[in-house]
Amino acid sequence: MKIAEKKALKRESIIQTALQLFSTNGFHKTTIPDIASKLKMSVGNLYNYFSSKDVLAQEIIKYTSEVLGEKIRVVNMTEGTAEEKIHQIVTIYFTMAKEKPEMIEYFLRVYLSNREVFSDGCEGMVCVSGFITEIMIFFDDAVSSGELRNQDFFSAFGLFMGYLGGMVFLKGEGVLPKEIEKYIDDISLNIYNALKV
Amino acid sequence: MSSQTRPKLLWLQSITCNGNTHSFLNHPDLFLILSHFELVHHPVLETAYTMEDLLQKKVSCDVLILEGSFQEEGFLKDGVEVSSLIQYYAGQAKHIITAGTCATFGGIFKQKDPAAISGFCFDLEERTMRYKTYASRLISLPGCPIHPKWLSYVLLMIANKRQIEIDTLHRPVELYGYTVHTGCTRNEYFEWKIDTKNFGLKEGCLFYEQGCQGPYTRGSCNKILWNDTSSKTRVGTPCFGCTEPNYPQESLFSTKTNMGIPAKMPLGIPRRAYLTLTGVVKSFKIKRFTERLLDYDK
Amino acid sequence: MKKLQIKQLIEKIEGEAELDFTFSEGKIEDVKINFGFYRGIEEILQGKDPRDALVITPRVCGICNHAHLIAAVRAIENGYENSGVKVELSSKAKDIREFTLACELIQNHVKWLYMTMLPQLEKYVNQESEENYAIKATYLSSIITKALSIFAGQWPHSSYAVPGGVTCDPTHLDVMQAQSLVKESITFFEQVMTGVSLDVYLSIDSVSSLHEIEGDFGKLLYLLGSNEMAEIGQSHDRFIVFGDSLLSRSGKSIVTTISNVESKYVEEALQEGTLAKAVTYKQKLYEVGPLARGMVAKTPIVKNLHKRYKDSLFTRIFARVHEVALLLNHSQRLLETLVLDEPSCVLDANIPLFEFEGTGVVEAARGSLIHRTTVSDGKISQYEIITPTQWNLSHGNQEEQGIAIEAMVGAASIEEATFIFRAFDVCSVCTTQ
Repeated sequence: MKIAEKKALKRESIIQTALQLFSTNGFHKTTIPDIASKLKMSVGNLYNYFSSKDVLAQEIIKYTSEVLGEKIRVVNMTEGTAEEKIHQIVTIYFTMAKEKPEMIEYFLRVYLSNREVFSDGCEGMVCVSGFITEIMIFFDDAVSSGELRNQDFFSAFGLFMGYLGGMVFLKGEGVLPKEIEKYIDDISLNIYNALKV
Repeated sequence: MSSQTRPKLLWLQSITCNGNTHSFLNHPDLFLILSHFELVHHPVLETAYTMEDLLQKKVSCDVLILEGSFQEEGFLKDGVEVSSLIQYYAGQAKHIITAGTCATFGGIFKQKDPAAISGFCFDLEERTMRYKTYASRLISLPGCPIHPKWLSYVLLMIANKRQIEIDTLHRPVELYGYTVHTGCTRNEYFEWKIDTKNFGLKEGCLFYEQGCQGPYTRGSCNKILWNDTSSKTRVGTPCFGCTEPNYPQESLFSTKTNMGIPAKMPLGIPRRAYLTLTGVVKSFKIKRFTERLLDYDK
Repeated sequence: MKKLQIKQLIEKIEGEAELDFTFSEGKIEDVKINFGFYRGIEEILQGKDPRDALVITPRVCGICNHAHLIAAVRAIENGYENSGVKVELSSKAKDIREFTLACELIQNHVKWLYMTMLPQLEKYVNQESEENYAIKATYLSSIITKALSIFAGQWPHSSYAVPGGVTCDPTHLDVMQAQSLVKESITFFEQVMTGVSLDVYLSIDSVSSLHEIEGDFGKLLYLLGSNEMAEIGQSHDRFIVFGDSLLSRSGKSIVTTISNVESKYVEEALQEGTLAKAVTYKQKLYEVGPLARGMVAKTPIVKNLHKRYKDSLFTRIFARVHEVALLLNHSQRLLETLVLDEPSCVLDANIPLFEFEGTGVVEAARGSLIHRTTVSDGKISQYEIITPTQWNLSHGNQEEQGIAIEAMVGAASIEEATFIFRAFDVCSVCTTQ
């Protein structure tokens, strides 16, 4: 394995570990030594990868946005209907919430609640553009094909992502009586009905 | 140069508004350009031959400028089908210039009877059955109207026996390799995705709301200025895509968007690339762009 | 008495027309004017967004496209007002529109003088000169349309006037450039067209002082006078102006009475044998154009010429060239007083109005131009364009012959008649849109 590849792998493992710690213990309570010790590496070496905790936090949000964006991109490349694609996107989101809850948790509990950490370098949608771009493409396709009603981007985006985020939040609070994937069909249909022509 | 050796230039009109004729009359070097040719007939300038001579096919030509949309049957001048006249003169011409979008692709007048009316060698982007016959001599100069300097470029290249490089629609690359966006004075606003708040303002880009087609329209309007002075976008008017095969489109003063995303991307830009940049750029609030350029009220 | 029928194709009138002359006893008794082709702009507009008319209608005509733009924007603004939206243009927008329109009129009149009147007249009276009149015409027209495009972006075919104002937001530097181009045009008027200063020219108000005019216009007047052409080409002596403009208020002039007009009384009718529609006002025929404007505005020199020569070819030609002086003078004033610190456009780009009807009137080079737009469900359901040439070139009605026909009746030759015809500044493309 080349050195560059090794470094990339190491970088990703730092991100994943930090992601887990930030989402379970909170951003402020987690320190760089905590992350380093969990990874069995020296603090100094960790700083070789990320120059500060804030930078690490920003890299994590970019990473999660890209992972999610990559999955939606696959959906966008398919020939399915808008209704099918909504179902697939909801499935991706909820599956991730279940299998990698730390990713969604990170977004909701760290990214949205600690805006000051992200104000310099992650303004607006800069660090989530991997994900947003794919959602834009999904909307654009669905409107051009005449399936979804044309409207302002944010009125549609807010309905879609606000709804999904809300459900994952409820799941995290432990108030959902059923497993989250049981809600996929109904929620997909609700979103489709709200946005269709 | 004696008139015997100068190429004979014929300007022939079909279904037109004369806009190309009058546009070319604005050329500051009009007569210098024409001095390279023997003008056998022209819609408004005095010429040696009359329209009747033209109709009776008494005239010959080396360079044919066609203005106006083409209709095989039903457009007559003094009982003569203009289509037959065009084909007669195009048959002998060494160079055929379709001046304007009507003559090139069909243009506005095509919409009256889309099945019957088209450009001479193109019907929108499709080749007409005449294409094969005339293709080797064909230069397309779309524009509604043509820019006077685009025509003078072609005429002088012909006069100087130079090869004109053309694209698949026979448009000179030197003129249509650019988009109208190139050189627009509002480019900075496009880069930073700042839309104009209304018409009549110096600030803001017209691509996002006001229907400007500059980023995907071929033409050098903002490089070779109109009337040596300005252009549509420089005076805050959107580009209506008047050089394009499908001109005119619908709702010319508003941008078609899907959930706020422009339905048509700048020429050759992948949508994903464009939207990625948009998302990033829109996240920054640049103070300078929130202010007026000049504030006379202050 | 045997009647003689002769057909003649008239070219270089922004297209062509076919004139069908009937001679009786050596004089023209009747003329049928036929325009060949209907391009269907009004139909093309149906189903389009109301504002698309601002792009499509200028393409009626390559020489008076700007007037079509102004008529189209006024039709929409009038439609908005009829639906309760107040449209109060800033004086800046109003003045810029007036200025650009004036530039187009100047361009038109000068082209007509140099590219139609002078060469045709020389040919007719057999005194052909070697002059390249077209180079003078294009020199002036390219300068004055350059001034226009400082504000409108380009000429021909600008769409810079939008509901509520104009799209441009000029700077002082822009205005200065326009001023210098107008100045250059005035110099041309003084040194080439008339041989007198603009001020001196404008002070000419009597027939006896016409001899002060020299230059090419002086030559034209001399050729007309010395070939006994001052009194030919008279018509019904009724004039109408629908648009208020720098040149004239709206109104109609019959004998010496000026009265008000309303565009709702304008009627269009199909005519047999031509694709041009005829227009009347309360069933009567009227002449439109510079002579009509001069009569309604009571321009002293036009009134005095009319007193002497009635609505003859001479008065008609004079009135048109005279407008060049008036317009240059007005343009200069407009730029001097142009206020820049006002909004260019007072309406939002998108007014949520889906049903309206509006009429827009403008004084174009050849006279009153009227656009009527009917919008339902946010789309144009009907669009009507009434061009000045339709007034002047109609066949007429049961009571009387059309304006230009009446002017040609009595002429002894086709050459004389066609010169009278061309003096109306005929525009073929406008007549059959």
